[in-house]
Parts: sequence; structure tokens; C-alpha cells
Amino acid sequence: MKALLTSLRVLLIAAVLCVFLFPVYWTVTMAFKPADEWTPTSGKTYWLPDHPTLDNFRRIFGGTPGGSDSFLVSTPINATDSIVTSLITSILGTLLALSVGTFAAYGISRYRAGGKMLGFSILQLRMFPPIAVIIPVLFLWTYLHLFDTHAGLILIYGAVTFPFVVWLMKSFFDEVPREISEAAIVDGCSQFGAFRKSVLPLVKGGLATTALFVFILNWSDFLIALVLSGNNVVTAPVFLSQITSAATGEEFGSRAALGVILITPPMLLSILIQKHLVRGLTFGAIKR
Amino acid sequence: MAEIQIKQVTKTFGRFDAVLDLDLELEDGTFVALLGPSGCGKSTTMNMLSGLLEPTRGEILFDGAVVNKLKPGDRNIGFVFQNYAIFTHMSAFDNIAFGLRVRKQPADEIREEVHQVARLLGIENMLDRRTTDLSVNDLQKVAIGRSMITKPGIFLLDEPFSNLDARFRSYMRAELKKLQRELSQTMIYVTHDQVEAMSMAEKIAIMDRGQLQQYGTPDEVYNQPANRFVAGFVGSTMMNFVPTTLDRSGGDLVLTMPLADARPLTVHNRDGGDDSDSFTMGIRSEHIELVDPGSETASLRGTVTLLESLGPRNIVHLSSDGYLLRVTVPPTVRPRVGEAVGLELDARRVHVFADASGTALA
Repeated sequence: MKALLTSLRVLLIAAVLCVFLFPVYWTVTMAFKPADEWTPTSGKTYWLPDHPTLDNFRRIFGGTPGGSDSFLVSTPINATDSIVTSLITSILGTLLALSVGTFAAYGISRYRAGGKMLGFSILQLRMFPPIAVIIPVLFLWTYLHLFDTHAGLILIYGAVTFPFVVWLMKSFFDEVPREISEAAIVDGCSQFGAFRKSVLPLVKGGLATTALFVFILNWSDFLIALVLSGNNVVTAPVFLSQITSAATGEEFGSRAALGVILITPPMLLSILIQKHLVRGLTFGAIKR
Repeated sequence: MAEIQIKQVTKTFGRFDAVLDLDLELEDGTFVALLGPSGCGKSTTMNMLSGLLEPTRGEILFDGAVVNKLKPGDRNIGFVFQNYAIFTHMSAFDNIAFGLRVRKQPADEIREEVHQVARLLGIENMLDRRTTDLSVNDLQKVAIGRSMITKPGIFLLDEPFSNLDARFRSYMRAELKKLQRELSQTMIYVTHDQVEAMSMAEKIAIMDRGQLQQYGTPDEVYNQPANRFVAGFVGSTMMNFVPTTLDRSGGDLVLTMPLADARPLTVHNRDGGDDSDSFTMGIRSEHIELVDPGSETASLRGTVTLLESLGPRNIVHLSSDGYLLRVTVPPTVRPRVGEAVGLELDARRVHVFADASGTALA
């Protein structure tokens, strides 16, 4: 009976994993398929590329792959600018949300700033999808000359992820005993000095977790960038959606190749900070 | 080293008076315990002394100078918190060195002073350890070291030993007392544990519901409680209370307790008190002697309900006409449960409290 339950559980986990990992598997294999293997037009579904190629990667970085005639009718494209744009806007947007949100969270957690309602009204900003108000924002941004600029995207990314930062960081600050900062103040620190030297180091794990979470949100945004930018500032997800050619129509392979590249930064980041991601932070200042 | 004056200090949170019209003068170099049940305002008083809270009204003076507006860091105080407030992201050394680093002292001086303090506390071999690897006991020593490194004139300790195990607590009490004598600092110690206060402090300030009840030496608060609250709060076995009526007509004060089989008790002359018409007699368990129930000297009679054997002494619980009384007796005295006994009260040790105000008749 017990063995049966165990094997059932393993099966269930395997099934769930299949559902979640299939898109990743399909994207990665697609990135290495030549154009005639992208779709089953030849009557065969290619689970793995028959003739693995790097053509798709060459294509998105301006190359016209030699030997293949698949891209002959296509104008050369280059994803480098869009990746740089994505990096700039999502990193700076994350930093903006983190710096404002962390201070706000500390104020709410420690000094009950804004009374009972402030924290809640900040959370309320997440009760509807940001895209629901994107048209008014578009007008506002146009009026402020922020449409199709880096600054415009950085600002909106910072604003949209700010509530997440406040609520995540507030929960971390809540766990730092008040005496920690008081001890630093008695020892001669200013309020800010006590925050920087005694409280912030204790929540750095939480800060890293929050940063990664917000970065992924910004990095993977498609809709906001689609609406709030034109031809000048194109982020990688928007660029990805526009890869088409007259010869093949939707360029699944090239898109998959760019997709694989876009997965990398969040993955690298999470590996780099994974020791902080574990919530087992040393809030051991109090031994209860 | 500093003398502290607290003048008419009140701290209000919303409509709640955490501390009300507190007047207290602490001499330079004394070891004072702030004693009271939780919520009595002792921690609030402490936070006002440290500067973490500003009084709503009144003045706090250190060495004659008002410090109300002075920042905590400029008050020359050391503060040890109940939960240590150790910076767990730093080593023991960095924790102790913290105050000196904030004051930007040269690194070699810091190292020397940290080692000196650590030697005094017996934690020199732990300085390089991460604080997360230290035991609770050692953490508290690090916390004490951190607050004494700046050589504060006033040392504030907020229930510092309440998280320690019993044996280490009594050891630390002795250590702290020794330390205070060596540094001859003014030390204020907050506690709700009256044994801790009695055993360490030179003077005890007892607070209840935001107000000072009595300020005196351990001997004074134990033997001459100013009111019924102090009488009931101090002492490891609670004082016995029985209602009584007073008769001053014959010059001496005669107490008549409205209990079955009670005899009037004549105590030496006391006056004072107020116009209250109901009174309570209080006597500590060790000032009662068990005698034969028929004895002439027995003012009260009762039946034994329980015997607590504590080793060096026994505590006999008695019921006298529905009132619970406790009597401390030598370990050899072991009355049976249900036995009828007489109680001889030491007339010199009897306290009388006016019910309306709670104050003791002088």
C-alpha cells in the first residue's frame, strides 16, 4: 500500500513536471532546428532537431547564414540593441522600485507610517492588472514626453513593481526586532545609520530575493513595453514578437533562439544568489 | 558616573498614561532596580532615560543638566536589552567594537579596548566566533560587553537575564554586581522578579500602573512596605492579608479580625492612616508561629490544607474561616493536613493598611 502511494506520488510529480518543463524543452530544441523542421509541414513532427544548427542564433544577430536559402527573402535583423534596452530598463526599474520600496517598507513596518491604510492602499495597486490602466498611462507618458524613452519604461517598471517590494520587504522588516536598531541608536548611530548598519544587513537575503523577483517581472514584461514604446526603445520580448519574414512567416526558430537567450539572465542571477533565496535567514538576534 | 533626577515625568501613549508624575532621584554610583509587574511603566521609564522615548511632560536630568532633547548616542549611556539585540551579521568582536567604530576611534585602540572588556567578561576566546554560533549565555555577555565598551556613566539593563537558565542567571547576577562595584557606575536594572531586585540592588523603586509606589533599600521595602501593593508584591511567599477593625480607645492599637475563633491583637501604638473605616492586617509568613489551637497567645486559628516542603523550610497553607494563610516553619515542623492549629502573630511585624487608599499606617 505504502509503495503504491509512493509510486503514485512520483507519477503525479512527473506528470506536473512534464507540463511545466515542456515549453522549456520545446523552446530549447526549436532554437536548434533548421527552418524546415519548425512545423510539421513535411508530415513529420520533430521532437529533436534532425539537423541541429546555429542558424537561428546567427539570424537574430544580423547574420545571413551561408548555405541555407531559408532567410533569403528576409531583411537582416539584430537583437543586440533590444537586449541592451531590456537590461537597462529592467535593471534600473528594479533598482528604482527597490530603493523607494525598501524605505517605504521600513517606515511602515517600524514607524507605522501612514497609519493602517497606507500599506493596504499600496497593496491595492496590485488588485487590478497594470495593463487595465495602460491607456491613460500612455496619454500621460506622451504628455510628459516619456513615450518611447528609456526613462519612461524605467519609471513605469519601478511604479508597477513598487507594491511588491513594499510588501515583501515589510514582512522581512517585521521580523527584525525593534531593539536591533535601538541598540545601534543608543551606541550613537543616527536613525539612518542604525538602519544601514544594523537592520539592512539582517534583511539582505530578503532584499536579494525581492530584487530577483522584481527583476524577473520587469525582464519578462511584454504588454507595457508594447504599448509605451515605439520604434526607438524596443525591449527584447517586443523584438521577439516581431521576428517574421516573407519567406517563412512566423520565424519560430529565431524566436526560440532569442527566448533561450532571454532565459539566461534570470537563471544566472538565481544561481548567484541562491544561498540568499532560502528563507532560513538568520533572524537569530532573538532567541525565543 | 552620573546622578539622575526624574522630575514629574509623565509619558502618555494616546490616552494611556504609561508613566504618571514620576519623581525619582538616583545617587551617583548606585545600583537601582526598577521593580514592578509587566505594564507598570518600568520599561517606558527606561526608554525615556535612554532617550529612545521623549517624556510627554516633566524633566530628566543627568548630573543636573536636562537631557530631554539629547539624542541617545549623546547621553553617555549603555543599554542591555532583554533579547540582547545582538547584530547576528557580525562577529562577537565586531559587536563589542560597534560603539567605538561609530565614534570613529582608531582601529588599534578599538582592538585593545575590546580585548580588555572581553577579558573582564571572560569571553576573550570567543571574539572571532560568529554570534550565531554562541550560546544564549555568551550572547548576553557579548551584549553587556557591547554596552560597556563606551564606558557609559549610566548603565541601563532591561530584564537582561530573563532568558537565561536559572543557574547561569544567579551566576550572572553576582558577576554583574561585581562589575558594577568595579566600574562604580550608576546602574539601573529593570525586572519583574523581586528576588533579582532584592539580591542585587542597593535601592529598589517599585512601580505599579505607571506610578511609583515606594523607593527604598531592599530592607525598607521588605520590612516597611509603604502600601498594600508593595507588601503584596515583595517577598517570595506572599504576605497574608486578613480584614480587621481598629480600636484606638485604650491608647494602644487593638486589631479585631472578624474571623471565627479570632482574638483581639494588641500592637504597639501607631497613628496616621486616613479616615478609611475598613482596614486590612498584613503579616509575612515567617512572622507567624504555629502553636497549640487552645493557646492563649494564638490570635487566629485554622486548619492545615497543604504542606509545601522546600528543603530548608516548609510552608504550611492554612484555612482560617475561609481565608488562605501561609506560614513558614522550620523543616522539622510537619503538621498533618486537616490538623487544627493556632497562629501566634508577631505583633511588632504586623502591618495595617487602610482599604480605601491602600497606604500603610505609619
